[in-house]
Amino acid sequence: MELFAEANYKILEKRKFTAILSVVIISIGLLSILFHNGLRLGIDFEGGTLMQIQFEESVEISDVRSALEQVGLENASIQQFGAPNEIIIRVLRLEEQEGIKASEEIQATLSENIPGNPFNVRRMEQVGPKIGSELRGAAVLAILSALLGIVLYISIRFEFKFAIAAIVALVHDILITLGVFSLLNLEITLAIIAAFLTIVGYSLNDTIVVFDRVRENLKSLRRATYFNIVNLSINQSLSRTVVTSVTTFLVVLVLYLGGGEVIKNFAFALIIGVVVGTYSSVYVASPVIVEWAKRSESQGKLSKKR
Amino acid sequence: MLKRLTPRLIIIILAIAIAGILLYPTIQHEMLSPEERQELREQGKLAELESKIIRRGLDLQGGIHLVLEVDVPTLVNNIARNKSQLFEEVFQQAQSRLNEETTFLNEFLEVANQKELRLVRYFPDRGIQNEEIISSLQEEATDAVRRALEIIRNRVDQFGVSEPTIQKVGNRRIIVELAGIQDPARARELIQTTALLEFKLLKTPEVTNATIQKIDRVLRRRQGDVAEALGAQDTAETDTTIEEGGVAEDEAVSVDELFGGMEDETATDTSEDSTVVVDRQVFEEKPFTALLRNVQGQIGVPQKNRNAVNRILKMEAVQEVIPPDAEFLWSAGPEVLPTQAGGADEFHLLYLVNEEAGLTGGVVTDAQATLGGSGGQAAGQPVVYLDMNAQGSKTWSRLTGANIGRRVAIVLDDKVHMAPNIRSKISQGSTMIEGMANLEEAKDIAIVLRAGALPAPVDIIEERTVGPSLGSDSIQKGTTATLIGLLLVLVFMALYYKLSGFIADFALVLNLIFILAILAALGATLTLPGIAGLILTVGLSVDANVLIFDRIREELRKGKTVRAAIDSGYGNALRTIIDANVTTILAALVLMQFGTGPIKGFAVVLFWGIVSSMFTAIFVTRTIYQMFTENKTVKKLSI
Repeated sequence: MELFAEANYKILEKRKFTAILSVVIISIGLLSILFHNGLRLGIDFEGGTLMQIQFEESVEISDVRSALEQVGLENASIQQFGAPNEIIIRVLRLEEQEGIKASEEIQATLSENIPGNPFNVRRMEQVGPKIGSELRGAAVLAILSALLGIVLYISIRFEFKFAIAAIVALVHDILITLGVFSLLNLEITLAIIAAFLTIVGYSLNDTIVVFDRVRENLKSLRRATYFNIVNLSINQSLSRTVVTSVTTFLVVLVLYLGGGEVIKNFAFALIIGVVVGTYSSVYVASPVIVEWAKRSESQGKLSKKR
Repeated sequence: MLKRLTPRLIIIILAIAIAGILLYPTIQHEMLSPEERQELREQGKLAELESKIIRRGLDLQGGIHLVLEVDVPTLVNNIARNKSQLFEEVFQQAQSRLNEETTFLNEFLEVANQKELRLVRYFPDRGIQNEEIISSLQEEATDAVRRALEIIRNRVDQFGVSEPTIQKVGNRRIIVELAGIQDPARARELIQTTALLEFKLLKTPEVTNATIQKIDRVLRRRQGDVAEALGAQDTAETDTTIEEGGVAEDEAVSVDELFGGMEDETATDTSEDSTVVVDRQVFEEKPFTALLRNVQGQIGVPQKNRNAVNRILKMEAVQEVIPPDAEFLWSAGPEVLPTQAGGADEFHLLYLVNEEAGLTGGVVTDAQATLGGSGGQAAGQPVVYLDMNAQGSKTWSRLTGANIGRRVAIVLDDKVHMAPNIRSKISQGSTMIEGMANLEEAKDIAIVLRAGALPAPVDIIEERTVGPSLGSDSIQKGTTATLIGLLLVLVFMALYYKLSGFIADFALVLNLIFILAILAALGATLTLPGIAGLILTVGLSVDANVLIFDRIREELRKGKTVRAAIDSGYGNALRTIIDANVTTILAALVLMQFGTGPIKGFAVVLFWGIVSSMFTAIFVTRTIYQMFTENKTVKKLSI
């Protein structure tokens, strides 16, 4: 079996359309973030208490809510989690020591107000606000240092404009993923940040394979135009891009479907990342290089014409 | 011609052999039945085996993860001597200025300098300048974290958890991870207990009575404040049901008598939480006394009155009439005690004790929990026996000898566990503590007493608990997902690249084995994100082979011979593979650096997965091709 064996798609010709498409998708995401008053940060970053509770029999969210109101936790968010007898309770932003109290109060009030339906605490997370803000800082630092390392590496191995094109593709991928998370009102947790960094690595991986081909073709096809070389390179690596994306997509999909509730959002971020990362390595990163080359060409720096 | 191949084969066989050796303990451990595991534990061999296996993270087996921070303000407050009003002000202000970006000591220094407070007054022997003193306190705090780490380690070791993780992070924090814990609240208690054991003499009943009367007088002068202290606008006077006023008219001077007279006044419980139970007539005369009950000659506070009493005791005017060398302490827990009326009720006991401890727990050399022997007062009750060192015994002997007939409170973390009468001089230093709810609590107290007191309280600033049922669900789902994902990729590769696909499949399986072996060698912990990393590696690690195979196909299309196509396919792809993987490795390294717990686990797996896949996907597959093509001219390649 062989896909895209002698592929010769006019990919770069579509760059105006894809650029508009990308801008529209990113704008929708950003608007959604604005509309939601920022991203929905999980307790990892905000501080607070999360409890996953499994009841013996299925339970009404409204019962749980009215029980929690008894102890002044009317702001808690309550969600069904997987099965109808399992819920997640989130209480955001608590003072350091109150966090511990919250979990105990929740348990006490649930056993008092929902009698005859015993439960067990499957998971409990309490993060003090101080730790939360530290983690937020650490996450930003991590993403920035990863980006810096990547710019340096690509600048050394390729050219600075390749590095910038790769970063553009990356930021594109992360903005879209963030936008989707905002649209679906999913929580950004530490695990999701890990997923983002993986997307960063994956999307770059894809992009660099194409760049590598461009670099190789620039050397061997001295006569061809920049435009044609890039288009050819994308086509030549298309088979590999698609095959690797398919295998990665397969496993991430299995993870999403069968990996359990805890890892579902994490896998979901990766699914978006794989799809968007594949798209961006073809339709975002390379067009940026071509556009860049065209601009500098008009200033007489490059002799290769379209 | 096989000569060229031999070193490659030796390297591969060696790598597989090493992986086998590294993974053997894990396989062995997995095969153990619970009984065999128990047997090994008793022989002391389990820990050794467990140190060589891939451990399961808390999210996979259930457990508790705590981040503790040493309470520096309390530490500083404990060290300070001769505290003045100004000192308290500076201290309070420094604490209120504390936010996410500052540390207490910095704020403390700044406020002290602003208010021209000379710290040397309160911290002698730590230098003259405020700066010197602060840096000395800083060292003290760092040292406190180190000591707290040791003490918590000792406590946890005795708690009997297999493979606990206890480590210091940064300057002030300690991470504790306990796998397979069933009762997080108990573990939390055990770790967080300061375990400051003190022996404090009780004030004589005369002093106690006089103090209570003084508080009564203060309160009567300030009825308004009392109302506030009692928490409700319409205080006890309106909310409380009063039955038979008769006996309370007796205005006895002695507290004991007064309490005695009140016993049949048991006011009924009303459903409102803000109500307290008092006798109205007594309340008007003696507002504080009215909240108390005589319980077998001790000061009892009904459950409902506890908060009100607490609030009254904290009032500034009340603090002023409590003798300066004394303090009120509560009993460790509520006790169900018979009332004089013949019923039973839940009471907290209140003690007025010397503020200064006659003896502190540092002298304890051993503590054992057991059930009290028959015949004694504590027969069948959980008790803790203490042994003291020579110096402690001497002090204890002097203290008991000089105070026969008085009572001494045994205080753990400001809670009185018991307050026995001293009947005779105790010279050999052994002492018994009772007042524990159950044997389990007694055992925990014995553990913390043996391990010693924390130099400062520790706050839990992060806690993550995973129940064992969720853990086993997760591992089952995670493993299934990994296997299905793996299977799908294997089938896809075989379909897409035919025989070459099988070679890549072989490399992929080998890669997984190597990653697991590396994890075992690193003593790493496999978490759920780790499994995700494994699955992602499965997806990504075929990438190298995809790159190579696509290049070979291209070369074959150009009409090259099989061997030449293979050679240039590998040659051309290598550069791309390295460039592409280096960026992923960069991301993984950043994650390893910044990530905590589970994220770190993910990064470790991703990192080693990529490193190992370079070996399997390039070196191993190349060797296999060479085995096929070395000695014969292959016309056609299945790719």
